[in-house]
Amino acid sequence: MRKEIAKFIINSRPYELLVEPNITLVELLREQLDLTGTKCACGVGECGSCTILVDGKPTLSCSTLALAIRGKDILTIEGLAQGTTLHPIQQAFIDCGAIQCGFCTPGMILMAKALLDENPNPTREEVKEGLGGNLCRCTGYVKIIDAVLAAAETMRKGAS
Amino acid sequence: MSEELLVVGKRLPRWQAHAKATGAAKYTVDIKLTGMLVGKVLASQYPHARIKKIDKSKAEKLPGVEAVITWDDVPQKLYNPSKLDLILRHPEGELKDMYVISEKARFVGDRIAAVAAIDASTAEEALKLIKVEYEVLPAVFDPIEAMKPGAPRVHEFAQNNISLHIDFPVAWGDVEKGFQEADVVVEETFRTAKNHICQIEPCACVASFDADGRLTVWSPSQHVFLHRRKLAELFDMPEGMIRWITPHIGGAFGKYGSFGVEPICVALAKKAGKPVKLEYSREEDLFGTEARQRYIATGKIGVNKDGTITALQEKLIVDGGAYFTHNSSTTGVNMGSFVGLYRCPNVAAEADCVYTNVPPTGGVRGYGNHEGTCVLEQLVDLTAKKIGIDPIELRLKNIKHAGDPSNTGLPMETCTLEECIHLGMEKIGWKEKRARKKGNGTKRYGIGMAIMMDVSGAQPFNIQSTNAYIKFSEDGSANLIVGAADIGQNLMGTLSQIAAETLGIHYEDIHIVTGDTDSSMFDSGQHASRSCYQIGNAVIMAAREAKKQLLERAAIKLGVAADELDAKNRRIYVKADPQKWVSVDEVTKEAIYNFEGEHLNISGKGSFSPTQNPPPFAVVFAEVEVDTETGEVKLLNVLYVNDSGRAINPATLEGQLEGAIAQSMGYTLTEDYFINKETGALESDNFNTYKIPSALDMPETEVVLYEEQPVPSGPLGAKGGAQGAMVAITPAIANAIYDAVGVFITDMPATPEKILEALKRKKATN
Repeated sequence: MRKEIAKFIINSRPYELLVEPNITLVELLREQLDLTGTKCACGVGECGSCTILVDGKPTLSCSTLALAIRGKDILTIEGLAQGTTLHPIQQAFIDCGAIQCGFCTPGMILMAKALLDENPNPTREEVKEGLGGNLCRCTGYVKIIDAVLAAAETMRKGAS
Repeated sequence: MSEELLVVGKRLPRWQAHAKATGAAKYTVDIKLTGMLVGKVLASQYPHARIKKIDKSKAEKLPGVEAVITWDDVPQKLYNPSKLDLILRHPEGELKDMYVISEKARFVGDRIAAVAAIDASTAEEALKLIKVEYEVLPAVFDPIEAMKPGAPRVHEFAQNNISLHIDFPVAWGDVEKGFQEADVVVEETFRTAKNHICQIEPCACVASFDADGRLTVWSPSQHVFLHRRKLAELFDMPEGMIRWITPHIGGAFGKYGSFGVEPICVALAKKAGKPVKLEYSREEDLFGTEARQRYIATGKIGVNKDGTITALQEKLIVDGGAYFTHNSSTTGVNMGSFVGLYRCPNVAAEADCVYTNVPPTGGVRGYGNHEGTCVLEQLVDLTAKKIGIDPIELRLKNIKHAGDPSNTGLPMETCTLEECIHLGMEKIGWKEKRARKKGNGTKRYGIGMAIMMDVSGAQPFNIQSTNAYIKFSEDGSANLIVGAADIGQNLMGTLSQIAAETLGIHYEDIHIVTGDTDSSMFDSGQHASRSCYQIGNAVIMAAREAKKQLLERAAIKLGVAADELDAKNRRIYVKADPQKWVSVDEVTKEAIYNFEGEHLNISGKGSFSPTQNPPPFAVVFAEVEVDTETGEVKLLNVLYVNDSGRAINPATLEGQLEGAIAQSMGYTLTEDYFINKETGALESDNFNTYKIPSALDMPETEVVLYEEQPVPSGPLGAKGGAQGAMVAITPAIANAIYDAVGVFITDMPATPEKILEALKRKKATN
């Protein structure tokens, strides 16, 4: 299959890449760019592990062709912290004990970011709904929800 | 513990949480080596078929293909993928019945061939070019059918497909007499669920031989040393020629007590002469790696009118699937749990392990205790109803106490079941809620409970040895080197807290070295909730030795005797005069950079083999709402009262219990490992059909850590906690359903269809 040249902005950095038309975004990130923070766990868009943000919107990178989002702005887990300063959601996940094996964590954190960007003051129920598509087998979600609510508070304080 | 603890008992951040939160943590699936090939496996599409001929020539000729292997290319010896036989006192229990690549297809998904190629698409293309001529054989999917004369035989040696008959070896009393003496005898048959682990990282392995023929394997393992020895035996290599490294592990729950794809990956790397990465898809993970045994369990209980249990008996038919794996050990644990939870003078149990043409089973969190206790704890509620007493009263009458033998037969140092039951009863308001009207509408409320005891290791049945090594750097920080794996349970953080507390330094001063057979000493593995208790004890021994050296060096500096000193908060101080001190880093630095020729790298080693096995305890309450029109069960609330002794890190322990609530909920209500009755294929082959709970499904939860009785033999009073965490939740939910609608769940999971059917049956018999 003929490769195409495509431009992307990934974690604020411009890329010009030679891309096979049939590869998915998660393959591009993990295999071509070694951005292995984005995980692939089901391959069919059912578990949310591969969630990244495309122009700020949560996107399942296992079910998205790379070329379909050419020219867009992509944020992966590697681009979330500002240098050595963690994003409040990352910090809250650490502080609240919301991470166990950690494999679902990158997708979960980015989904939480999309949720809080849209709704800075969610209820516990709204957090559950927002994260409903991201599966975790370790935590029972309790401390993940705690972390998102704690991060929301920190972010609101930071914004005011 | 009269002394104040500075590190233990604190909710400190988990080991490597920062790396996991930033995407920097490397898992097996993230590993990329120069020149690494991609491996793929050809799975049988038939549940039972003889392989008449395989033509791999076309696949081999495809450009980019570097190795194609079939049964002829793998070691011609049978093995068992469970690591347990290496440490079992009676190793003949776990049968060897599997080749790296099968000589005959025994289930849809059995491994027929494998390829290694330059990329995934070439490897997939090559699989299509392998021509297999099958002779399709009749298959059998149900264990009862499989035991009938004339049923298709899954393995030639197993008559009526019975691989092993097990009589519970330590039965006591006279069970027949016990039933005769009982006022009431209750018997019920249950089908437990074949529930899959569904760790989020799919099973994967990377294998590479170096120029000297030394093999390095990167793969998740809960038993690095046992797995290394298994590989060594399988591939006729000395153990020292293999290095096993465990990267971060994306969930384990018992899965990596068995081989995943390592043997095939190694065989491919050997044939290709290049590194190979083999990663299963979710579908392959679901049919190709081990799930729970499905037990057809007949439980029988005899009680007097006052509720005293007189006899307990369990008869099991074990649907182990196409290969034996852990069937003997899990079944033994099932029986021990069933007969060992309550005081009972007469017990017996037996089992037939049966082969069927469905995906094999293995060791999953709870490891038989979950199933054995579920059967028992549901029976207890049924019995309480029959004799007309409160199920908690029946339990309190029969529970064990300190000094009684535990489920392993060893005497218990502490037993807090009674305290935990009372605590939970009050907290949830048992009496009021139990008496609450169920309602006449379509939504019926119910509350149920169950109890359990688990283990802190597999003493006295298995070798349970472990080692820890601590060495100081000049800056006063220390490496803690252990041969164990952090499988997400934060074992490394837990051990760091124990080490820092004992050494008198800070949590962040401990730097872990783990998951590498080259750099650590032997450990018998992360199973049976043994790690915190057993390795924690080894860490304390190592830390005490290192601390002794530290104090001796400081004593010279401070001009006092070493026994007058102690260490805390990075300082070594005179106990009688704490203002007189020297910092730990000053001592460690001078010990290393010593111009008087008295060099010492302060260090300590601890080797531990347990003589005891203190069980953790749990008492779980569940509240449900059952919709009698749709059959749907809504889990409203779970209260989990747990005794794991002292919680080294309470947040870590809570996380284990909260996670177990989700897993049990899935087991009980939604996770249906569904095999097509015509084709034998797994139909629930991804997360859209195999439904594990999401955040949206979760009930209200409350976890209470009962820490009043730290266990004397434990490290700073701690014992196990993670493995048994599911055990009491499942029967508590089932008992709540029984309370709500009077329907007794005998076939897990309790899907809406099964609830409706049971309601219909109940109506018909009323």
